[in-house]
Amino acid sequence: MDTVVACSTPFGSSALSVVRVSGPKTKSFVLSLQKNTKKIKHSSPLLSSFLDEDGVVFDEGIITVFFGPNSYTGEDLAEISCHGNPIIVDQIISLACSFGCRIAEPGEFTKRAYLSGKLDISQAEAVSSLISSRSLEGAKLTYKNLGGELSANISSAKETLISVVGEIEFNLDISEEGLQPDLFTKSSQKILLLKNKMEEALSGFKKTNILNLGASVVIAGPTNAGKSTLFNLFLEQERAIISKVPGTTRDVLQDTINLKGMPIVLKDTAGIRKTKDKIEREGINKTQKELLSADLVLFLGKKEKRKKKDNKYIYIFNKSDIKKPASGEYDIQISALHGKNIKALKNLITKKLSGGSSVSSFILTSKRQVENIGRAKEHMELALKGLSTETSLELVVEDLNSSIFYLDKITKKTTKEDILSSIFSSFCVGK
Amino acid sequence: MKRIKNKYDLVVVGGGHAGIEASLIAQKMGINVVLVSMDTKSVGRMSCNPAIGGLAKGQMVKELDVLGGHMAMFADMCTLQSKTLNLSKGRSVWSPRSQIDKIKYEKTVQKYIKRVGLPVLKGEAVSITEKGGKIKSVVLSSGEEIFCVSAILTCGTFLNGLIHIGEKKIKAGRMGEENSIGITESLQSLGFLSGRLKTGTPPRIKRSSVDWSSGEPGFGDKKPKPLSYHTKKFIPKDEPCFAFRTNKKTHDLILKNINKSPMYSGDIDSSGPRYCPSIEDKVYKFSHNPSHILQLEPEWTNSEQIYVNGFSTSLPEDIQLKCLKSVKGLENVEFLRPGYAIEYDFFFPSQLKNTLETKKIEGLFFAGQINGTSGYEEASSQGLMAGINASLKIKKEKELRLKRNDAYIGVLIDDLVIKDTNEPYRMFTSRAEYRLQLRASNADQRLLKYSKKFNLLDEKMIKDLTKKVKKTKEVEGILNKTNIKPEDINPFLKKSGEKEINQPTKASNLLKRPKVLLKNLPKIKKIQMNNINKNFIEEILFEAETKIKYSGYINRQKEEIEKTKVYEDMIIPADFDYNEIKSISNESREKLIQILPETIGQAQRINGIRPTDISILLVYLKRWFHVKRNVNLKKK
Repeated sequence: MDTVVACSTPFGSSALSVVRVSGPKTKSFVLSLQKNTKKIKHSSPLLSSFLDEDGVVFDEGIITVFFGPNSYTGEDLAEISCHGNPIIVDQIISLACSFGCRIAEPGEFTKRAYLSGKLDISQAEAVSSLISSRSLEGAKLTYKNLGGELSANISSAKETLISVVGEIEFNLDISEEGLQPDLFTKSSQKILLLKNKMEEALSGFKKTNILNLGASVVIAGPTNAGKSTLFNLFLEQERAIISKVPGTTRDVLQDTINLKGMPIVLKDTAGIRKTKDKIEREGINKTQKELLSADLVLFLGKKEKRKKKDNKYIYIFNKSDIKKPASGEYDIQISALHGKNIKALKNLITKKLSGGSSVSSFILTSKRQVENIGRAKEHMELALKGLSTETSLELVVEDLNSSIFYLDKITKKTTKEDILSSIFSSFCVGK
Repeated sequence: MKRIKNKYDLVVVGGGHAGIEASLIAQKMGINVVLVSMDTKSVGRMSCNPAIGGLAKGQMVKELDVLGGHMAMFADMCTLQSKTLNLSKGRSVWSPRSQIDKIKYEKTVQKYIKRVGLPVLKGEAVSITEKGGKIKSVVLSSGEEIFCVSAILTCGTFLNGLIHIGEKKIKAGRMGEENSIGITESLQSLGFLSGRLKTGTPPRIKRSSVDWSSGEPGFGDKKPKPLSYHTKKFIPKDEPCFAFRTNKKTHDLILKNINKSPMYSGDIDSSGPRYCPSIEDKVYKFSHNPSHILQLEPEWTNSEQIYVNGFSTSLPEDIQLKCLKSVKGLENVEFLRPGYAIEYDFFFPSQLKNTLETKKIEGLFFAGQINGTSGYEEASSQGLMAGINASLKIKKEKELRLKRNDAYIGVLIDDLVIKDTNEPYRMFTSRAEYRLQLRASNADQRLLKYSKKFNLLDEKMIKDLTKKVKKTKEVEGILNKTNIKPEDINPFLKKSGEKEINQPTKASNLLKRPKVLLKNLPKIKKIQMNNINKNFIEEILFEAETKIKYSGYINRQKEEIEKTKVYEDMIIPADFDYNEIKSISNESREKLIQILPETIGQAQRINGIRPTDISILLVYLKRWFHVKRNVNLKKK
């Protein structure tokens, strides 16, 4: 492996920046950078002046070296804290490059940690998700996976599958007598429980995703309903122009807010009405598109009777200071102008976005995980179908093995030996 | 006096099931071969249970038959009862098993060997000599040295064999036969690593001492099928086995005396097989089972000797007898021979290539129990493959490697060379990830290409089987194309509670329903069996039907095989230096160094090797080849 270098803090001026170096040349590079070459100790920060190639001091900072395998990447790793000036950061990086290092690709430090076996793949994914998480709650959930919670969950799911496969295999592969009478029902029960757990995890992903990436919340409704007033209220600033003229808002305006630790991309849209104005019509088209992709719609208007109940919508009666609505047509009454009942609205929004339920302990953080869990679940369904129609048991095993295969993709590999061990530990084998 | 010829191309040491297959196939392939046996009268002896085949093993016997092995043919000549196991379960796990007349079996083998003129030499091999990493000779206890190009060691349980009956210990290979000493030490001095394994055998009892009316008889199939395609007429006697049951009294007796069993007293510390546990193991570990079945099996026609299947034990003889006497029907039982456990040396099979040639010494092959396996069929399979590959090597031809999706034999050898067993290795259908494709009934479809390529069968058989395979494909094609009219099938569908059809439907689509079989469909005229060996017709139809029933799953597996194929073909150079890879765990590195996988595919299957290890290995391999090429370029 070669040695890589990168700035680990965001680009730009700040008080401090951290440059990371990982690989076999780390130690010698650090020694060349320091003014008074001292003995470097593992994991002990050292204040030092930084020298350029000509031996001229250009900055001063703290260097911490971690020797492999006891480092994040599993290789020798240095964290160099310097002053947060892009020029200084560039200087350190270019010194490293002239020393034979290479600029790290995005995510390479984590990749190296994965390759050296410091993290399993679900943990590596947790790291990437943790870095990009936009809310504290999302970060907390993701952090659980970094600790291996996902791996533990998958392992326990696999254990159940292996025990079911073991039991069926015992009947197929070893016992020369007839089938165990309760084999079908017992296996079905166990798989059903597991399948439900997979479904829970899949729906939980949606929530985690919202917590990490932010939910798209669209304010919509007829013209002059007070959408922009509500928008400004949430933003706590006069972001959108407000007027009594219907159709003032033409384009989609958006901004990010944080509701109880939940990141929300709030969008103000053009009011919906029939119009001959070309520009306004374009705006309304945009509104329609936003409505389709929104996680939640704050609709300032009545529920339409012919429309099926849509869980994505909150029907809001605005201007409660002026008049009263007929009951049952709205979810909530507010006055955007006077800020009345806004707290209740906020509660309603967070409740809707989090699905009202608490998050299961089975947290997925990447599309890859979702896909594999989805596949595993599909094969569980096929196995259940096979068990219910009493088709060939070897085909049921085939599907269960496929489930295990997909779960294996998220964590550790299962071997045939695991299944045999399960058989031998639970059954009296041999005539 | 006949002078011993002391130079052969191939020396096969050991006349058990592995040795027989190895030497016979080599002879067939035109190799100048000799079989060395300590006791020429025991060649072909079945030392344990009187049966050939069984779950997963039956499939292997069928595979052997297509690859030019002899076991299936011999078995068919000595069958006491033939039965297909697992008929109530899926068809890929249907496995044929034959109860065998053991005495007739060894006689048949010996007669056959004589008839085909295979040279047999009585003698005990005590050491192996090598020169420059190549085998040179096999030395016998008499001092004679047989020079050879290749040698196959199939020494079975005879290597430093030690029999345990209670506290009694007897040095022997089998009860009443000498063990063989010297080979282990000779191989160790050449750098081979050995371990100890244990296996057991149950007592043999007198037929006349059993009250047979207390047992439940078990008969074979009404329409028995031979194991071998070579067998033309197959009308076995149908001698029953009888099931008896242990009871609480038996179990109490065993538990009371368990510390007299060498496994429990600590006298034996080598591992025994988990799948064939001793009766003390069964009673101790599965104490919730109130009763265990004992199958009383005849060892030959009208034999006075009866095999007590399920009562493998190393308890002292008097206690064995007491325990058996507590079983209903065995109150007056008399022993011909007590059960015993035997400990023996084996060599870690990870020291072998996939051809069963040792990695250390060119031309030296190991096959059978010496590799830590158990079972006649496992031994025969290795013997055959070692015989074929040793012969090909002598002829300087390309080797035969069976893949995991080709055959159970492929699974067996792949498993052996990449994992170090700590119990005797026995085949199970669940060891094969492509089990659905490895059926007893399609061994010909899977393996005929190899027997053709290497001329393992006689011409007539190749011709017949080629026709059979072709026909099977043809019938499958017809079923995929022929439409069945609703009126022709709906009465059957209705009767069996299946959904009826309302428009003409492909025969294959109907057959995919679990309950619909080919025989339920109206006769399809296009299916003609002219020119086909009568004995094959039933299997052709069965296979066409099976292939259609399994098609969804099999196609998916085939995709998987295609995907992994690239890794199976990716060779790791024998001199690749794993110490260069710093970033894999020490444990993984040790395993790789110990096993030295031949391909990336094998490396992936090593227990405990993680996908990340493989990613890293691939990176280094690329670099390795790169560096090597550069070095070569510089040389030029």
